Amino acid sequence: MALAPLPEPITEVAPPSRKGITRRQALAAAVATGVGVGAVRLLGGAMQNITRSKTSSGIDWVSPLSREAAQIMQLLRRTSFGYTPAQLEAALSDGYGKTVDRLLETKPVEPPVLAAASTPGGRFGVAELQQWWIDHMLTTTTPFAERMTLFWHGHFTSDYRKTGNNTFMYWQNLTWRRMALTNLRPMLLEVTTDPAMLRYLDLATSTGQSPNENYSRELMELFTMGAGNYTEEDVRQSARALAGWQEPPADMIATVTVDKVKMVTQKLPVYSNQRPGVFNQRRAYKGTVTYLGRTGTLDTQGVIDRILAQNATATLIATKVAQHFVTSQPLPAYVARLGDAFRKSQYDIKTLMRAVFTSPEFTADASYRSLLKSPIEFMVHGARALGATNLTKVVAASGSGMGQSLFDPPDVNGWPSNAAWISSNTVVERVNFVTRALAQVKGSLPSATDASRSHLDGVLSPQTAKLLNQAPDERTRWFVTLASPEFQLK
Amino acid sequence: MTKEIGINQLKRRDFLKAGLVFGAGAAGLAAGYAAVPDAFARAVYAAKKNGAANDNVLVMIQLAGGNDGLRTLVPLGDPKLHDLRPKLAGPMVSQALPLNADFGLNHHLGGIKGLWDKGKVAIVQGVGYPNPTFSHFESIRIWETGDPTRRQVDGWLGRTLAKAYDSNGHPLTGCACGATDVPGALRDLQATMTVIQNQKTFGFTGGSEVEAAVGALYKGTPGIYGALFDTAIATANDTIATLRTSSTSYQPMADYTDKVKLVYSSKNQLAAALQLAAELIVTGTGVKLLHVTLGGFDTHYTELNRHDDLMGYLDSAVSAFYQDLASHGKADKVLIATWSEFGRRPKENASGGTDHGAAAPLLLIGDPVKSGLFGAEPSLTNLDSTGNLQYAVDFRSVYQEILGGHLGADANEILGGSYDRVQFLKAPVAV
Repeated sequence: MALAPLPEPITEVAPPSRKGITRRQALAAAVATGVGVGAVRLLGGAMQNITRSKTSSGIDWVSPLSREAAQIMQLLRRTSFGYTPAQLEAALSDGYGKTVDRLLETKPVEPPVLAAASTPGGRFGVAELQQWWIDHMLTTTTPFAERMTLFWHGHFTSDYRKTGNNTFMYWQNLTWRRMALTNLRPMLLEVTTDPAMLRYLDLATSTGQSPNENYSRELMELFTMGAGNYTEEDVRQSARALAGWQEPPADMIATVTVDKVKMVTQKLPVYSNQRPGVFNQRRAYKGTVTYLGRTGTLDTQGVIDRILAQNATATLIATKVAQHFVTSQPLPAYVARLGDAFRKSQYDIKTLMRAVFTSPEFTADASYRSLLKSPIEFMVHGARALGATNLTKVVAASGSGMGQSLFDPPDVNGWPSNAAWISSNTVVERVNFVTRALAQVKGSLPSATDASRSHLDGVLSPQTAKLLNQAPDERTRWFVTLASPEFQLK
Repeated sequence: MTKEIGINQLKRRDFLKAGLVFGAGAAGLAAGYAAVPDAFARAVYAAKKNGAANDNVLVMIQLAGGNDGLRTLVPLGDPKLHDLRPKLAGPMVSQALPLNADFGLNHHLGGIKGLWDKGKVAIVQGVGYPNPTFSHFESIRIWETGDPTRRQVDGWLGRTLAKAYDSNGHPLTGCACGATDVPGALRDLQATMTVIQNQKTFGFTGGSEVEAAVGALYKGTPGIYGALFDTAIATANDTIATLRTSSTSYQPMADYTDKVKLVYSSKNQLAAALQLAAELIVTGTGVKLLHVTLGGFDTHYTELNRHDDLMGYLDSAVSAFYQDLASHGKADKVLIATWSEFGRRPKENASGGTDHGAAAPLLLIGDPVKSGLFGAEPSLTNLDSTGNLQYAVDFRSVYQEILGGHLGADANEILGGSYDRVQFLKAPVAV
C-alpha cells in the first residue's frame, strides 16, 4: 500500500541520556524515535507482529516506548493531566520507578472548601460544582489524585439530577478523593452509606419489609462482581440485608423561599459538616438471608465481605483499571494477574495501581496510543498545556457535546471508554473546544514546537506533521497540535 | 440509486490500498486474536447490490431505564393490580383513557389517545424474550442486538443499515438525534453513522476553514482508532454540508416546546431530537433509520409523579412530531416505535416505585399502522418465579414486521432467523 511522503523532520534528534539531563535534552530525547525516521511504519512489514496488530488504516504509530523517557511521558499522560516542562524534567531525572513511587505516595492536595456547599438543601447550581472541580484539576500539584477521583466517579457513579442535593454530590467527590488509593473494603462501606448514593440508588427509601432492589443489584452488577456472578435471588436477599440506611439528619432546618412570585417556601436541611448516612434498626430486615451461598443474619459489612470473598470482584475492578490505564482490550491472563495481586493485598488499591504501572503490559509497544482521552482529560490536558488559567468555564461548558459532564454521567454504568468516545458529534466538539480555548488565551502562547515534542512524543502522522510545517504561526500550530488525533490519545 | 458522495468515495479510495490491512485482519482472526475495529477493510463488504428500495422511514424511541408497561397500557378491570400496587394502582386506573372495556392508556397520553382514535396506533402487548435478564445493560444489549444469546455485537439497525442501505454511502441514512455517541441499536462497523446532539450547534466553530483543516488532519490516521476518527470526521463534514442546505427549507409546523419541564430527565431533549428527525425527513436527506432516547424510566421510587411526567413528555413530543410530519405530507412514510429494555415489577416497593421487570407493551404509531391491540394480555395472577409478567410475543417478531413489512429489508438475514410476524401494518411491503 501507499504511504504518504515522509514528513520533513520538525526537530533535531538528540542522543538519549538517562540521568541528570537538562530540560532541553529531555524534550529532545522524547522525540528520538519517530519523526526523524518517519513517524509511522507500515504494518505490512510487521506481519510477524500480528498479536499487536492494531491498525485500521494499515499503518501504526511507531512506538517510542523502548526508551525510558517515552515510558515516563506515557505514564504521566495516563496518570495526570499533562505536565509542565519542569515536572517532566523532574520525572525524567527521577526515572520511571521513582516516578511511580512519587505518584502513589504523594499525599493528595485537597481542593479548597466550596462555600456553596452550606446552601440549604444543597440547592446551588451544578455549574458551580463542576467549575470548582475543574479549577482544581487545572491547578493541582497532585493531578494523579484527580485522575483517580475521576475514575471512581465514573465507577461508583451518581448523578446530580436524581440526587437532587449538590452538597451531597460535593461530599461524594471529597470522599472518593480521600479513599481513592486506600482499600476497597472500607471504600465499599463508604459507597453504600454515601448520602448521594443513598439517594441515587434508592437505598435511603428501602425497608427490610418491602425492599428496593436498586442499590443491591448495581452494587453487585456494576460496582463489584459483574453480571452473571450472582442470582436474582441474591439481589433480593441482599436488598433485604442492606435495608435500613437513611440520609444523615441535618444540623438545622432552614425555611427558604423557593418561588418568590408565588411566595412558596420550603424547609430545607443545612449541614455544618460532612457525614455519612445513618442506620435505622427499625427499617432493617430482622430475619436470616441466604446470600451468595451462605445462610444467616447479615448486616451491611457482612454483605460487603461476602462480595469481597468472590473472585469476580477483583477481576471486575482489575479489568476496569486496565481498560482505563493500560489498554482497551486487556488479555484475560493480564487481568487475572492484576486481580490476584489485588486480592492477595486484601484489596489495597495502591498495590493494584503499582502492579498496573510496573507491569510490562503498561510499557509494551502494543499499549502505545491504545487509549483515548476522555473529554475531561482531553480538555484539562489541553488547558494545562496552554498554560491557561482562565479556561475553567469553557471546560465546564464544553463537556456535554463530547459526552462527559461532571456529576452527570449518562447512566449508572458511568461513562463509556475509548472507542465509544468517537462519533460525528464528539469529534466536532473536540475541535470546537480547541478553537474556543485558543480564543480565550490572550497574549503569548508557550512554544508549539516544544508541545509537539513534549505532549505528542514527536511521533506524528504524516498529516499532522505536514499541517504543523505549513502552519503560518504559533496559534495555528497549537490548533493543529491540540486538534490532532495524536493529542486525543494517551 | 443516489449519487455517491463523501464518505463513500473516501472508503472506496482507501480500499484500493487496504488489501494488506484486510489480510492482516483475516490472519489475526485465524490466529485466534480478537478482531480489531477495521472499518475501512470491513466496509469492503458493505457494497450492497440490492438494498431496500422504498422510501419508508423508521423512528425508534428508546424509553431508557425500563418503562412501566402496566402504567402505560393500564389493565382497567383486574382487581389483582390493586393488591400488587396499593399505592400506585388507584389513580392510574381511575384516570386512564379507556381504549376498550379492559385497557386504557396512561392519562398523560392524551395526544397518543387522539391518534388511536384516528386509527394510527397499534399496541403490541406482552413483548419480551425467554429467560429475561433484569440487568439494564444486559437487557439493553439484547434489545439492541436482537440476540438474547449475547453473541451478536452489532445493533439490529446497524446491520440493517449495512445490509440494506449502505451502498448509498450516504452519511445521513442512519442518524442518532439528540445523542453524543452511537446508540447500540445503530452500531455496526460496516455502516456510516451520523450522530447529532443539537442541530443548532452542530458544525465547526470557525466555519469552512476549520472544516478543511480538520479534514486534512484526519486522513489515513494511524493506529487502532485511526479509521474511526477518519470516518467520524468525514461523516461530520458530509452531514454539515447536507444540513447547511436543508436547514433553509424546513419550518416546523408543530409546537415542540417542552411544557412538562422535566427536571430529572431533561438531559434527554426528546422533543428537540424529534424535531431534528422531522427536519431530516422533510428536507429529503435520504434518512431511513432514526434513533432517539428519553431516559428516566428507572422508576424505583416516587413513581407516581415521575412516570406521569415522562408519559406526558413522551406524549407531547410524539404528538408534535406526528403533526409536523403530517403537515409536511410525510406521515404516510414514517413508522414510530417505542422500545424499552424491560417493564417493571407488578408489585410495588417501599419507595413508592417498582423494581426491574420483564414483559411490557410496545407502541407503534403512524399512518402505516393498523390500529388495535396485538399480542396477548399478560396475566397478573400467573407471574413467573421472579414475580414478573410472562412474555407472549418475542421482541424479534416486532422487528421482523418492521424490517420486512415497513422497510422492505431482508429481515431473516438481519435477524439471523425468522420470527412470527405481528401484523400491525396496514399494507406490509411484499418481500
